[in-house]
Amino acid sequence: MQRDRFRHKGFFSRLQLPVAKKYVYPSSRNAMFFVGGIGAVLVLGLFSFNAFFQHGALVSNGPLSSNHAAFGGDCSTCHTAFQNVTSDKCSVCHEKFGDEVGVHTFASHYLYRSDDFTRVVPAANEPACFGCHTEHVGRDAPITAVADDNCLQCHGFGSFNTGHPEFDFAADSLLDDGNLKFPHTLHVNQVRDRKDLVDIEQACLYCHNATPDGTGFQPISFDRNCDTCHLTTSDATPWVTVASAEGPGVLTLETLRAQQRPGSLWTYYTNPNEFQDRGGAVRKSPVYHRDPWVLENLRRLRQILYPSTGLADLLRASGDVDPRDVRSLYEEAVATLDTYAEELRSSPEREVQQELAEVEDLLDVVRRRLRDPYAPLDETRFLVSPAARDTSISVEEGRAFERVIDQLTQPCQKCHYVEEATIVRVKADQGNLIRAEFNHGAHIIQTRCLDCHSAIPIRQAAATNTTAEWAEDNAGIQNLPSIAKCQTCHTDGKASNTCVTCHLFHPDKSQHSNLLQYLE
Amino acid sequence: MKTAVQKTAIYQTKRPDASRWSNKWVQSPLWFMGFGIAVAVCLVVFVLNALFGRVHPSSPWGLGYGIAAAVLFVGVFFYGVKRRTMQVRALGRAWYYLQFHVYGGTLFLLLALMHVGFRVPHGVLTWWLWALSIWVVASGLLGIVLQKWIPTLLSTGVTTEVNYDRIPELTDEIRERAEKLVETSDYAVRDFYRKDVAPVLAAPQFRPIYYLGISGGLKGQTPPFRHLRAMLPTEERAKLNELEDLVGTKLEIDAHYTLQKALRGWLYVHVPVSVVLAALLGFHIFTVLYY
Repeated sequence: MQRDRFRHKGFFSRLQLPVAKKYVYPSSRNAMFFVGGIGAVLVLGLFSFNAFFQHGALVSNGPLSSNHAAFGGDCSTCHTAFQNVTSDKCSVCHEKFGDEVGVHTFASHYLYRSDDFTRVVPAANEPACFGCHTEHVGRDAPITAVADDNCLQCHGFGSFNTGHPEFDFAADSLLDDGNLKFPHTLHVNQVRDRKDLVDIEQACLYCHNATPDGTGFQPISFDRNCDTCHLTTSDATPWVTVASAEGPGVLTLETLRAQQRPGSLWTYYTNPNEFQDRGGAVRKSPVYHRDPWVLENLRRLRQILYPSTGLADLLRASGDVDPRDVRSLYEEAVATLDTYAEELRSSPEREVQQELAEVEDLLDVVRRRLRDPYAPLDETRFLVSPAARDTSISVEEGRAFERVIDQLTQPCQKCHYVEEATIVRVKADQGNLIRAEFNHGAHIIQTRCLDCHSAIPIRQAAATNTTAEWAEDNAGIQNLPSIAKCQTCHTDGKASNTCVTCHLFHPDKSQHSNLLQYLE
Repeated sequence: MKTAVQKTAIYQTKRPDASRWSNKWVQSPLWFMGFGIAVAVCLVVFVLNALFGRVHPSSPWGLGYGIAAAVLFVGVFFYGVKRRTMQVRALGRAWYYLQFHVYGGTLFLLLALMHVGFRVPHGVLTWWLWALSIWVVASGLLGIVLQKWIPTLLSTGVTTEVNYDRIPELTDEIRERAEKLVETSDYAVRDFYRKDVAPVLAAPQFRPIYYLGISGGLKGQTPPFRHLRAMLPTEERAKLNELEDLVGTKLEIDAHYTLQKALRGWLYVHVPVSVVLAALLGFHIFTVLYY
């Protein structure tokens, strides 16, 4: 025991086991780090080799969507080292034959159905394509299904059901601007009576004809929808004063034919028997829609009253349109000029033919400019300004002019408004909710027309079948539901209520796959 | 002004006003509360993200979670650095590093899961990052459980305390004593030793039964001394009693060996994987910047 005590520092436990002679160092744990280090080197080597010498499938965040699956073997198709995925690389395919602005750019998004160039801002700091279209989330991932928060970064409304603003026409209680004296209730009842229709909505569809794809309706046309009942052979103008030294009036067919002004070719094809002359007054029967004699006289009276009307003389109705419709004004003006040029073809004089060639060249230039969807156009050049009225015409003379205009346009005024010696242009298509997509076909199978379009009391009028008590609703273009109606179905747990349900970012997504563009 | 030792004592002293559970599992209520607040803030932020933004790793929210998780991961790694530089007092107390390692590591996993929107990633690299993050934090939490549970088990179940690294040496010592003891014993004891006792004393033995209960494990392994004792003369009984003590101590050492092996072994499922995770995380950050 003495020797043991000498050999050991002491003893512990009831067995008197020896205490360690010196400090016992814990066994080294470097092996853990060695194993970890070996593992790290192996996996880094594997992933690095795959990233830089193979197709990079291991470092990819996930499979590409089916749309881009063919590019999976070459990361550089989309990726640029340390620059992320630039939109330029997307444009290689998607803007291959794009226009100046680019179908898939933010600029085209700003211009989408507005043609308002003031909304276009420099592209700096705008999100790239990949910001909205998330890739590498699976082969079947819908990369066009953009999440709401991408839109809400700029349009900070919140969800459709809680934050979406009310539609402008409903929020601001905008008056209907169809510019047509039209009572829906009267027409529905008359159509039902004449066609013996029980279903009210069949009466609606009698005039509102669906487009071939079933998503919307064709614009209402006089020739197709109104001609059956309106401006029949029995319609006539009242007796209208003929212009003379005593006062303002209209020009007769013979006078207009004799003047041989541009655009007067119609005078040779018009039946003189349609006019009755009563010594100082003339009437026309029948009166046609866009009757050339009425429009020519109206234009002439307008030129006297408003001498600086400019391009408005080339239009058949007023130039007062929404800026996004301005293209139609130019096209109408070019068509009028074409008519004028056509009349000159029959003139054999060399000078006339030379000038005609120059005119046609100019019209070609205009047509080319009109084909550019992003060329800025000015609609104010077609407007007749009340302030531009000829100040040399006295108040009395002015009233005389207005009296003549009123007589001349009596048949027109049954449906149209006449202001500043111009027939106010009818909005043939609704101009609301233009930046949203609405598929009537998808909705009509679930609900009835009048369940949503209930602002005009058509059902009530049909129930009583009273045609006497009707009110003009200006064609009821704003007979649209407020957003609350949409929200009853488009809400969480029911129909989709994301931004892209109704709104598109890219104005014309068909362009990138338009085969015709490749062939041109 | 308290000394460093006194400060340490504060953290290790049981809080009389706290429950047993709290005293055992929460070393510092302050850190625990801070961790709870951080988790609550993270979850609230994520809910707001889900309500008002896009839940995706590349969204500004998702990038924020990812960056925060990466920063925490780097911070958590400093515990290992501190363990290797204990002599450098200027780096602060290891206790703080450990607390940050535990709570920061758990918060790292939460932020990493928020980064991927609590979904399984689609990519191979990202799947490995996701899986290794869960593995590392889960093994770390297992380590905490073992660190709290096994010392308690050992302190209540066995009478002998041994240093893990001395177990082979002490086992040899006991075996030598036992062999010397039975050399002078009669045939019955020697035969009993050869058949029943020698295998027990041969080497430290890992017996998972000790994880279920130390006393039960000890009883189950003890050779049948009682049957032999009745047949022996008085002087041989004394030797047999001494041999039984040696075997009892050896079995307690086996319990230490088994349980302390878990205390040390969990590091082998935690640390190497952490190193791999660190490497993959670095590579992930590189690929995000590169691509």
